Amino acid sequence: MIIMAEKTAQQKSWGVSYGEMVRREFAKNKLNVVSLVLIIILFALAVFAPFLANDKPFMIRLDGKLIFPLFASLKASDYSILLAAAIGIWQLILIRRNRRNIEPSIRGHVLSRQLLINASILVAGSVLLYVFVPRRLDATGYRELISSGRASDAIFAPIPYGYARTELEVREQPPGKEHWLGTDDVGSDVLCRLIYGSRISLSVGFVAVGISSLVGIAIGSVLGYFGGKVDFIGMRFVEIMMAIPVFFLIITIVAYWERSLFNIMIIIGLTTWTGNARFIRAEFFKLRNQDFVQAAVSLGLPLRSILFRHMLPNGVAPVLVNATFGIAGAIFIEAALSFLGFGVAPPTPSWGQMLSLGVSTTGRFLWWLTLFPGVAIFLTVLAYNLVGEGLRDAIDPRLRKAA
Amino acid sequence: MNNGTLLAVDNLSVHFFTEDGLAKAVQGVSFAIQEGKTFALVGESGCGKSVTALSIMRLVPDPPGKIVSGRMKFKDENILDLTEKQMRQIRGNQIAMIFQEPMTSLNPVFTVGDQIAEAIKLHQKKDSEQAWADSVEMLKGVGIGDAERRVYEYPHQMSGGMRQRVMIAMAVSCQPDLIIADEPTTALDVTIQAQILDLLDELQRQNGMSVLLITHDLGVVAERADDVAVMYASRIAEKAEAKSLFQNPLHPYTQGLLKSVPQLGFEGERLATIPGIVPDPLHFPSGCKFHPRCPVGGKDKRCQMVEPELREAQTGRHVACWYAPGYETKQEREEYESKYKQ
Repeated sequence: MIIMAEKTAQQKSWGVSYGEMVRREFAKNKLNVVSLVLIIILFALAVFAPFLANDKPFMIRLDGKLIFPLFASLKASDYSILLAAAIGIWQLILIRRNRRNIEPSIRGHVLSRQLLINASILVAGSVLLYVFVPRRLDATGYRELISSGRASDAIFAPIPYGYARTELEVREQPPGKEHWLGTDDVGSDVLCRLIYGSRISLSVGFVAVGISSLVGIAIGSVLGYFGGKVDFIGMRFVEIMMAIPVFFLIITIVAYWERSLFNIMIIIGLTTWTGNARFIRAEFFKLRNQDFVQAAVSLGLPLRSILFRHMLPNGVAPVLVNATFGIAGAIFIEAALSFLGFGVAPPTPSWGQMLSLGVSTTGRFLWWLTLFPGVAIFLTVLAYNLVGEGLRDAIDPRLRKAA
Repeated sequence: MNNGTLLAVDNLSVHFFTEDGLAKAVQGVSFAIQEGKTFALVGESGCGKSVTALSIMRLVPDPPGKIVSGRMKFKDENILDLTEKQMRQIRGNQIAMIFQEPMTSLNPVFTVGDQIAEAIKLHQKKDSEQAWADSVEMLKGVGIGDAERRVYEYPHQMSGGMRQRVMIAMAVSCQPDLIIADEPTTALDVTIQAQILDLLDELQRQNGMSVLLITHDLGVVAERADDVAVMYASRIAEKAEAKSLFQNPLHPYTQGLLKSVPQLGFEGERLATIPGIVPDPLHFPSGCKFHPRCPVGGKDKRCQMVEPELREAQTGRHVACWYAPGYETKQEREEYESKYKQ
């Protein structure tokens, strides 16, 4: 007990970091927490999509033999996503543990070592998965096998349909007992496609915003730190970029290039960085003349350290906030592109694409095809915007009580 | 302690090319700092003393500032000839700086240990663990109690005096030869001021470093400095050993400054002030820049038209004033009699 008490006393003495302060402030607003939980749920849905909605059973007894078709049918990419999620959660646990058990002096060192190990496990694991997981196309209709009596003891996923199923006899069915959220024009289950569609939305959001943040930070920090001529020329370039209507640029490029998710992510990322660049530039202008930056320069620290170690953490807050809005924006752009038919190609599900099916070829208005994807887009974009706003308020020193 | 010259600044001029025009912030400033000694640069705000300090570190913001002329011999090299890379080797390692505002001079997102250790790691090529151990030692050295714990604290958890101690610890962490202290105590309250200055003194004695003390507090100068230069409107008005300067100030500006220091036990009289304000560097007056405020030569035509240069009027006493005893040459006297005297 005494040892425990000593330890807690020591923990307290390590001081409250800036990040910790922001976290506490963020958690004060319940709406922020709810939004964050919503986003985490979305993440969970995206990661575990194959286990939630799949036309292959977890296990089934076929001709007296127990087989596991769902696991066998998972692609290498599915396994990689699971691996990434597992490693991500493990890293979060490690960071929490570090904060409690590891001295701050070597914490950065330990953290970078952990990150390196985990990242290499992830890369190596993914490569191995791609090499060793066979590409198998399992077109067996397991439910027909059950009804014909050849198979038994099946355990299906909660939504026992695949996202690419075409079953024309059940097409355009309204929500019911069999299909909770109805079916679309080729008879695919809407709920199943919604769940798989979250993968597209989240990956578009994160990758596009990741690209746009990196490009924006790199360009903005250089412009802001050096100022003068560099800044003048750079800002004219940024202004030219801003003058181009991004959405139409994207439509044009997508029309010329192949319709792939990868292209869309890159294009969104490479056309939306200007806001980030301007934020970072403005912050760096302000920070450049701050005493602690002058002090860092007067200690002879190299430019890399001054820009990215001393200035960036102090100026990155608006970009982080902007990133959450950016994710919402990217999801929105992807949905709009897919709605217009420039997005990912079917049968890959995407929320915007589902939305566009609401008016069927026969001219009937299929409300469940408009409502549910629409609600999904609405909630996701709302959650990201709320988190962004919460983050902004938590970071804004004017709203925080003086320490 | 030997008496070699550590830093010799010769004819330094710094101009700022602003949108409103050319501001000559520093003009023809020369002085020398001896090894192990304290050199004080005194003057009102805006007189160019901080710009002089930044020039030594080559930290004058460019644009708009530019060092237009001068030489600064540090050890055997001219600082102005060095490349930026060589300069980084000198900053922090051989010349370190203590800033005026301890509240904003530390990075809010890192612990103080982080910030001290980074410089040690960089300049002394030590690994993390050793650099952190050194930071704890540095904090102990600047009189921060419970240093093992304090090293993990963030700047906002410390008081102003503590932060200034941390700044000093950072500055001395790589055992520099010269410390530039730019008004190190201005932002602190009086009781802390003395402690901080005592600490600087002690560290200076321990490590044998030189200190360039920039201040407007004459009390501080009288106690701590070996040599003093008084700056007024971008130029040095008077330069001498501290003792003789305080006993017998030659320049009317120095005299005015000394008179305006409050003294204990003096009652009944109003404190003397120097009338007028420091001239704007964009619009310096003609002639001697002090003449509009000068009680001695304010009405003198020569003071209004010809600027006196800094020269050795008496042994060891440099001054820039036509009226300082021993300043004029015979020829100048004659010229004055014939040309300017009504």
